[in-house]
Order: sequence, then structure tokens, then C-alpha cells
Amino acid sequence: MMNRFLDTMWGQANALFTPFRRRRWVDLLLVAAAFGMLYGLILLGHQWTAIQRPVLAMDLSPWALPKYTFFSMMRGLAAYLLSFFFTLVYAYWAAKDARSERLLVPLLDILQSIPVMTFIVPLMLALVAAFPHSNVGIELTAIIAIFTGQAWNMTFSLYHSLKSVPAELHEAATVYRFNWWQRFRWVELPFATTGLAWNSMMSMAGGWFFLMLVEAFKLGDKDFRVPGLGSYMSMAVERSDVRAQLWAVAAMILMIVLLDQVLWRPIVVWAQRFRIEDTMQVADSQSWFLNLIRGSRLIRRWDRWRAKQRRLRQHRKPVKKLVVVDLSVDKAAHAAPWLSLVALVFLTGFLILGGFGIFHLLHQLPSGAWWTLLKAAGLTLSRVMASILIGLCWTLPAGLAIGLSQRLSRIFQPIVQVAASFPAPMLFPVVVAILASMKIGLGWGSIVLMLLGTQWYILFNVIAGASAIPSDLREVGTAFGFSRWQRFRNLYLPAIFPYLVTGCLTAAGGAWNASIVSEYYNISGPTLQTFGLGAIVSQAGESRNFPLLAASTLVLAATVVLFNRLVWKPLYQIAETRYSLSK
Amino acid sequence: MIHATDATHEVICELKGIQKSFQRDTGHPLRVLEDINLDIRANEVVCLIGPSGCGKSTILRIFAGLIQPTKGRTYYHGKKMEGLNPGVAIVFQNFALYPWMTVESNVRTVLQAQGLDDEIIKAKAHRAIQLVGLEGFEEAYPRELSGGMKQRVGMARALSVDPEILFMDEPFSHVDALTAEGLRAEILDIWDDAERNPSSILMVSHDIKEVAYMADRIVVLSANPGRLRTIVENPLPRPRDMRSPEFLRLVDQLHDIITSTELPDVEVTAPAPSLLADLVEPLPPAPSSDILGLLEYLETQGGTADLFQVAAATHVTFEKILASVKGAEMLDFVDTPKRQVLLTPLGQRFVRANMDDRKDIWKAQLLELRLFRLVQELLELHHGELKADELLAELQQRLPMENSEQTFETLVTWGRFGELFAYREERGVLTPE
Repeated sequence: MMNRFLDTMWGQANALFTPFRRRRWVDLLLVAAAFGMLYGLILLGHQWTAIQRPVLAMDLSPWALPKYTFFSMMRGLAAYLLSFFFTLVYAYWAAKDARSERLLVPLLDILQSIPVMTFIVPLMLALVAAFPHSNVGIELTAIIAIFTGQAWNMTFSLYHSLKSVPAELHEAATVYRFNWWQRFRWVELPFATTGLAWNSMMSMAGGWFFLMLVEAFKLGDKDFRVPGLGSYMSMAVERSDVRAQLWAVAAMILMIVLLDQVLWRPIVVWAQRFRIEDTMQVADSQSWFLNLIRGSRLIRRWDRWRAKQRRLRQHRKPVKKLVVVDLSVDKAAHAAPWLSLVALVFLTGFLILGGFGIFHLLHQLPSGAWWTLLKAAGLTLSRVMASILIGLCWTLPAGLAIGLSQRLSRIFQPIVQVAASFPAPMLFPVVVAILASMKIGLGWGSIVLMLLGTQWYILFNVIAGASAIPSDLREVGTAFGFSRWQRFRNLYLPAIFPYLVTGCLTAAGGAWNASIVSEYYNISGPTLQTFGLGAIVSQAGESRNFPLLAASTLVLAATVVLFNRLVWKPLYQIAETRYSLSK
Repeated sequence: MIHATDATHEVICELKGIQKSFQRDTGHPLRVLEDINLDIRANEVVCLIGPSGCGKSTILRIFAGLIQPTKGRTYYHGKKMEGLNPGVAIVFQNFALYPWMTVESNVRTVLQAQGLDDEIIKAKAHRAIQLVGLEGFEEAYPRELSGGMKQRVGMARALSVDPEILFMDEPFSHVDALTAEGLRAEILDIWDDAERNPSSILMVSHDIKEVAYMADRIVVLSANPGRLRTIVENPLPRPRDMRSPEFLRLVDQLHDIITSTELPDVEVTAPAPSLLADLVEPLPPAPSSDILGLLEYLETQGGTADLFQVAAATHVTFEKILASVKGAEMLDFVDTPKRQVLLTPLGQRFVRANMDDRKDIWKAQLLELRLFRLVQELLELHHGELKADELLAELQQRLPMENSEQTFETLVTWGRFGELFAYREERGVLTPE
């Protein structure tokens, strides 16, 4: 009796919870997220079309932060979309047309080494002039500036993937008569997906780096700030509101973690299905968010609806006659070379014109300036190298310790990932204050500022390398009783060498980029600066001295490209041949 | 159904006077095929066999229209062929499956590419999957499957498009022996159905037994550059029994033919070095360790053995044994009357010597070869540091029509063992020991 009573009661009470147990709440969450998104977008629309004000007013209360964070996130994502389409077009073009490839690949190399300052100043002036009555120009500039921090390495990744599709996969596609689109969708893009997913994650981090510079951009007396996390931070620094600064840092970390969990991790996990077998045994990682989404009914219904639509379309389509042999079907393949040639001619023409323009600009520069620029380049180069050396000093032992222990790497890997994505310039105000109290000028201090942003790349790679050392090689060390130093010299260092080179290369790129904000600091108080190429670029940009901006950018790009060719590339070669564990 | 070749068997594809060279990075083109004339007729199985570098796979790709020949013409049903061969599907050596697609989508994708209707695609994919016995595996991903199962997917994909000729490029070389035996029989069963495509099969192989089992006509090629040596008609009735005496006799006969093209008793194929003072001897792909192994083996066999028994007993491919024997013969360690390999007195002395003496003998024998004397001279000329690129360029000059990279690789292992020179790979230089 009692039992039956309990059963009925309990059963009914239980039934109340079934929607939750069946995870209806996932659908609820999705709907809520969609509405939140919509509201945010409406706000964003207002911001875009609002009349340009002379000075940006911002609310420094923490309650305003979600809105600003959303704005920044949307800018980052819009820039990412732009990067993605740029990558598809540019990389495909470079990989498919040998003639264009010879121009496009070096051009990408150069674009990669141009600092954001050089892009942002002329862009801002041009776009604001184009949209004088609204914020569209400023917003677009912000997005494009973030784009310049994201796009290049994604493009390189896709280009290299497209070039390394195994010959047999291509032959099969040819024999079975895939047209160019089918080949791209079914063969090339899937092949490139794994690399593209990882690089997208990296790119996004690169995009955040200049968030503060981009969102809180001022040219002389003109205020080009846009509401967002970066401008919130700079405003907080300006008013020395420590509490607001802390809130901003917290919001930034939250945004990075959120994007990582909700966007990148699911994408990386999903991309695993595209990995080629036997390469890169990534442990089958999981994403709670992806599992959640897969459990959602709304999504499943949407999938079913789409499948039905597709079937309907198939039926409505008049049945094509059985195509027996039609070798000329691929009209696109015949048109492509022409299209590519025309585009190439246009691009070359554009570059030549641009070259003349720059040449003209450079002509206005006094000849003594070149010598100054070279000296500045030498100085900044030594700062970059110093920051990497200092970074190596602590990341090498720390990274080895973390990577060699499974327990530690489980704990630290995500933390390091977040730290690497966190835009270091947001911490600059604090560090500059500490440096000032220690009476260290920006000449040495800028090395510390560079280090702040770039050390994580090295650490990240050292950890990855250390955890990839085969256990049998480590057992040899144990079995023959190697001392700590012997183990480091004969095993760890050679084994992680390829990773180390990658890490240092990325770090050097980051440090060069960071030089424009770390040698020239103008966020709070009087502008601090020291002699160096980054400072010259920043200063020239801010004072709209275009000849000097062009010249300093040229010297910077040339130094970076030359250094890559002469130092990093040979090191890479050695890493690939002599220290590769996979061969 | 009898698949004898008679006059009524119509020619499907034909190659006439094909020559093919590949452009190499180093400049000199590498000639891989020379004067190939070959046809594929209706209702037959043709197999291509020959040593590595004879261009078997290149011939298959020219037939398929994947590669354009440097010279010569390709015909399909009597008409000159431009671009792809319309009647062909290929089964690849490394399967060439798309790892991100399930078994079924791998098959469906190629049908979709033909612009077929959805219902037809479904039916055709289903039939092809059924035909190769993959039912139940439709939703599996290639990485979950064994080599044999993967190749079944490759076969299903090829058969789904109903090809007139099925091309197979060493289809069973990454499949274990037992599975391969089953697959061969199955593919012949499918082919045997006269009502349905494929009408003919062209297969590239390096396995003599496989060729004898499958083929109506066996095309024997020789290497450097690839030439057509002979075409052997296979008289055995189907189904064939791999253990029957007639079958074994045919295999034996094929062995003889291949040996006589590779190790002629009278030296005819190699360019006569005495006539042209600056020509050197090309080396076979036989590292010193392989030659050492062969000599040791011969010693255990009392100094003499049958070439094919060596291959059978050591489980090394016949191709590799041939290369080692060729190398050992160049160094005067063995002699090859017909299919016998026997240790020469020098060879015996070498095997029985200790390591130091072995190296001395090896070195002395190397210096008998014009090639190694050349390397020594070059080393002196360059003051003890010879760049590998320079040596390669030199070899290309002096080894026309040969794959000089391969000779270089063998040269390095032989020279290292003989302590004639050291080779530093990362710097790409040879230095004297």
C-alpha cells in the first residue's frame, strides 16, 4: 500500500522533471542565447549607425561590461569571418595557379610583417572620410585592424594544406571526374580542416592582442574610440580606476574562456574527423558543449528539416539525363586560368602603383633618416632577441616539468592556453607602473613588455614538445642512469628542438608586433617612449608623418623577412631533418 | 566462358609509340618509358610486371589519361584520346579513400560527381557495396577498417561507376597475403560475369604468382628506361589452382623470363663502358647490408642456391633479391649461371673473413668499378670535400637514361661500408675516411 502510494507520487513528481532529464533545458538555453544575441546585435546596430561624437562617453560600472564585452567579441568574430573568406580565396588562388603563386606567397610573407599601426592610420582617415556622419567608418577600421592580426597565418596554413594533399587522393578525384567545386568541398577543404581549426584558434588570440590599441585609437586630438572592452580598459586606466581595470581583465579572461569552450573546442573536436589516419595521434578529446548541442532537440529538428528540404529539391529538379561521358563539363576549369590571369594583372598593377606611391613618399624623407631607422632596427632586433632569451630561461625548465608529467600538463595546459590568448597590452599599465617605481626606463622596460606577450608561445610549444617525447626514449635515459644534465642535453633538448624553433619563431613575430606598443606607451599619463623601430612607427603614425611611417614600416618588414629567411628558415630545416622524431 | 584472345576480341584502348620523361629538379629529364606499344582488348585481364622503376604505374596512368605522354598516342575504341579515359575506374595502391567519409559516402561521392539522380545513386552504391561484401560496414570510417576491408571499399567505389575497364595499381601490396588471395578470386568472379562491366582488367603487380593467377596476358617490362620486354600469353584454363603443377611451371617460366631480362648471362643491356670512356656503371637499389645478408645466406646453403628459392625461403620480394644479386655480381662475389647463384672463391673468402678483412676486400672490389674510382678522383680534386649535388650532377652526365639518385643512394651505402668515404647528410658532403 505504502509502496504503491510512493510509486505513484514519486512517479508523478519524477515526470515533472523529465523534460529536464531529456535535456529540454538545453533547448531553453539555446533559445535564451539566441535572444541575447539578437538584443546585442540591435545594440550594435545602434552603435554603428549612431552619429559620430567628438568624444566617446563610457560607463565604467561593471554592469555595462557585458555590453562592451559583447561588442568586442562581435568585432573579433566579424574580423574572423573576414579572415576566413580572405583565407579561402587567397590560399586557393596561390595553391592552384603556379604563376600567381610566385607573387602571392612572398606578398603574404611581407603582409605578415607589417605592423598594425601602418594599416590602421591610413585606413581610419580614409574610412572616416567615407562615412563622416556615422560610426561605420571607425567600426570598419577596427574590424579590419583586428583582421590584420588574424588572417595571415590561417592563409599560410590553408595554402600548405592545399599543397600537400596526397597525389592519390587527387588522382582518384580526377578519375571519378570531380569538378573543381566537388574537389574543393570533398577533398581539399576536409584535408585542410584540422590545420585550419588549430590556426583559427591561434589567429583569434593574435587578433585580441591589439584590441586595446584598436578600440582606443586616438590620432592627435581626434578621438576614434569605439565602445568595447579595450576602450573600457583604457578609460579605466586614464581615470586610474583600479576596480574597473580589474573588472575589465576579468571580463577579458571570461570572454576568452567562453569562446574557447563554446566555439573553438567544439570546432577542434569536430575537426578531428577530418584527420588523416596515423598522423598526429591526438587523444580523442571531448567537448562538453558539442555533446550538449548534439543532445539538443531543436538542432536535431533543424537537421531533419534541412535533410527534407534537400530531398524535396532533388525531386523537384528535373532528372538529369544520365551523363555518360562529358569531359568538357568542367567549364569552370577552362575559365579559371583566365580569371586568375586577369586578377593577377590587376594585383600586379595595383602593387606597382602602390610601389610608386611609396617611392614618392620615401623621396620626401631626409637621407639621414635612413641611418637612424637602421640603428633603431638594430636596437629593436636586440630587444626582440633579448626577450626571447629571457623567455627561454624560465619556459624551458617550466615547460619540461609540465610536459613530462601527465598530471601537471592536465592542470596547466588550459591555463597556459588562456594566458597565451590574453592580450598582454591590457596588463601594460600595471607593469609600467611597477617598472616606474623600480626606476627602470622604457629602454629596458620594453623588453619586459614584449616578454609579457610572447613567452607563452614558447612555453606552450615546449610543453607540447615535452609531452610528445616517446616513452621508450625516456626509459633509455632511466635505464642507463643519465644524470639530469645528460638527460637535458642528449634527450630533452634535441627532442623538443622542432617545437622550440616553432615557439621562438612565433614569439619573435609577436615581439616585433608588440614593439610598436611597448617602445611607445601612451595609455596613461605622459607618453613614455624609447629609441627603437616600434616607437618610430607608432610616433609616425600618430603624428600622421606618412613618409616616416612608410619608411619605418619598410625597414621593419625587411628586417623581419630577412631575419626569417636567414635565421629561422635554416633552423627549421635542421629541425625537420635532424631532430624530427617522426622520421 | 572462355577468355581466350582471338581475333573477334575488340581492342578497347591502345598505346602507340609512347615515350615519357619526367622533368627533374636537377635539370636533366629522367626518361621512364621508351617506345611502348600495348593494347587492352575486350574480356581480358592484362597484367604489367617488372622491376621497380620500369614505369608500370606510369603506363597505367597514361592509359587512364591521368598523365600525358611525352611522345606517342593513346586510343580509345579506335579514336584518339584527349584527357581522361572515359571507360576507366582505378583501384589504388594506398586505397586513396577519403578518411573523413564513411564507407557509403566514399562510394556515393563518386556517383554524385557524375551528376546522377539521388535514387540511382542509392541503388548503385548499394549494389557496389553488396558486390564486394561490405554490407553492414556502410557507416564505418576507413580508419576503423583493416587493409583488406579498405581495399574492398576502393573496389566498391571503382565498380560503382560501372567502368568498362578496371585499373588496379598494385592493389594488394598493402593487404595481408591471405586476404589478398580471397580478394583476387572475388574480383575475377565479378569480372567473369559477361553481362556486366568491367569487361577487362588492367593490373600492375610485382608478385609473379598473382600475375600468373590473374592474367590472360602478362606484359613483362624492363627498367631504366621502361621498355616492353615480352608479352606472355597465359594458356591456363580458369579457375586456376595456385598449387597445380601446370601453374607452378608457368610461374617458373615467368621467373626465367624476368631473370634473363634482369641478369642476362651475356652482358647486353648495360651500356658498354669500354666504348665511352666517361660512362660509369649504374648501381642497383641494393644497400650493402642486403648484399652481406645474401652472401651469408649463400654460405649457409653451401655456396649455391636457386634464385627463386632464395626469395621463397627468406620472404624477401623477388625484386629485392634480384637487385642484391646484381650488386653482388658487380663486386665479383657471386656468379649467376642461369637461375643459380653461386659464391665465387672471392665471395667465399669475403664471407669467412673477419670484419676488418671484409672491409679491405670490399674496398678493393669497389675500386675495380669505374664509378668509385671517379668518386675518389673527384674527392681529391675538391680537396677532400665533395658536395653531394656536384656528384649527382656528374652522375647524371655519365649515366644517361638512368635514375642517378638511386645510384647515388647505393653508392653511399657501399662507400660507407668500404670506408672509402664518409657522407654527412645534413651538410650534403662526402669526405674521405
